Amino acid sequence: MKRVLLLIGQVILAAIFIYAGYAKLREPWLQFAVAISTFKLVPDSALEPMAKYLPWAELALGLSILSGILLRWSALIASLLLTLFFAVLIRSYALGLQVDCGCFGSGESALGPLRLAEEAAMLALALGVTIGAFRSAAFRSRSAVSSRTTI
Amino acid sequence: MRTLLLFLPALMLLGQTTHKPAPAKPAANFKESGSPTAPITLELYTDYQCPSCRAFYMDILPQVISQYVATGKVRLVHRDFPLPMHQYTRTATKYANAAGQLGLYDVVAAQIFKTQQEWDQNGNIDAEVAKVVPPAEMQKIRDLVKNDTHLDDTVTSDMALGGRDGLNQTPTLVIVKNGKRQKIDGMVPFNILKSYLDQLLAKG
Repeated sequence: MKRVLLLIGQVILAAIFIYAGYAKLREPWLQFAVAISTFKLVPDSALEPMAKYLPWAELALGLSILSGILLRWSALIASLLLTLFFAVLIRSYALGLQVDCGCFGSGESALGPLRLAEEAAMLALALGVTIGAFRSAAFRSRSAVSSRTTI
Repeated sequence: MRTLLLFLPALMLLGQTTHKPAPAKPAANFKESGSPTAPITLELYTDYQCPSCRAFYMDILPQVISQYVATGKVRLVHRDFPLPMHQYTRTATKYANAAGQLGLYDVVAAQIFKTQQEWDQNGNIDAEVAKVVPPAEMQKIRDLVKNDTHLDDTVTSDMALGGRDGLNQTPTLVIVKNGKRQKIDGMVPFNILKSYLDQLLAKG
């Protein structure tokens, strides 16, 4: 049962990252650069490289999670990224900045409690998958040790 | 599963969609500037009562005009997109378009944006416009605002085009190159816009 839950979480988390990357890549990079600039955290010189390469990183991370290759580490990176995004959104909300999250391309709803709740849910999912992946790996390694001891 | 993953990025690139092309209806001439044969057209949708539009108009547009429009690289088209939540924006649009018919569009549009914080309080756009227009011309503008039933025609067509472009905020830039329309929402920092335009121009 736990394995099935982990698999479902893994697929959903992967889909989120793949879609987030794809939604940005189908638009001009300038649009995502504008979205990043509204957070007033990134210097102008870093906007272009971030806007160009972050979507590819999200796509690669999503594919890595989906494939299950190095799942523990890709899920951990996803959790760290989502923690960072969540912290940035909380800060922007607290400062009353009019930001366009840009998380899934342009045309999203404005930053508000609903947007924050969505981000929190994604973060919870990523943390769940990360914990599940580490536990599953630990269980497999204990089983391997125990089967070797039995032999 | 892994074989499928290898093909996913390629499938995504194939599925890349640019913004749905919408046939560009030319705005009235006074709203256009720059060479008609410029390789890129920038359509700038603004609302006179929107503070970000003011910031774009005052801080970014002059740089775009001096570096791209004046050099023949970009043709600029102003488009009106008055937002329903702004009480006086329709009136401001009328004054700007009336002035446009007298060859005074740039002067009056600039004055309306520049004094936004003043008339935003009381709606007295007339007084602000009168400060930069000679009295005889000002009277003609007032007559047009009062009596010209076609004054809003370009606004209607701009808004219809904006609707087809999927506009939901101002300022919005639509960058047109080789018939392909790319909508960019929000306040674009000039350095980033410059980099993007330079890359588009370099592609030929």
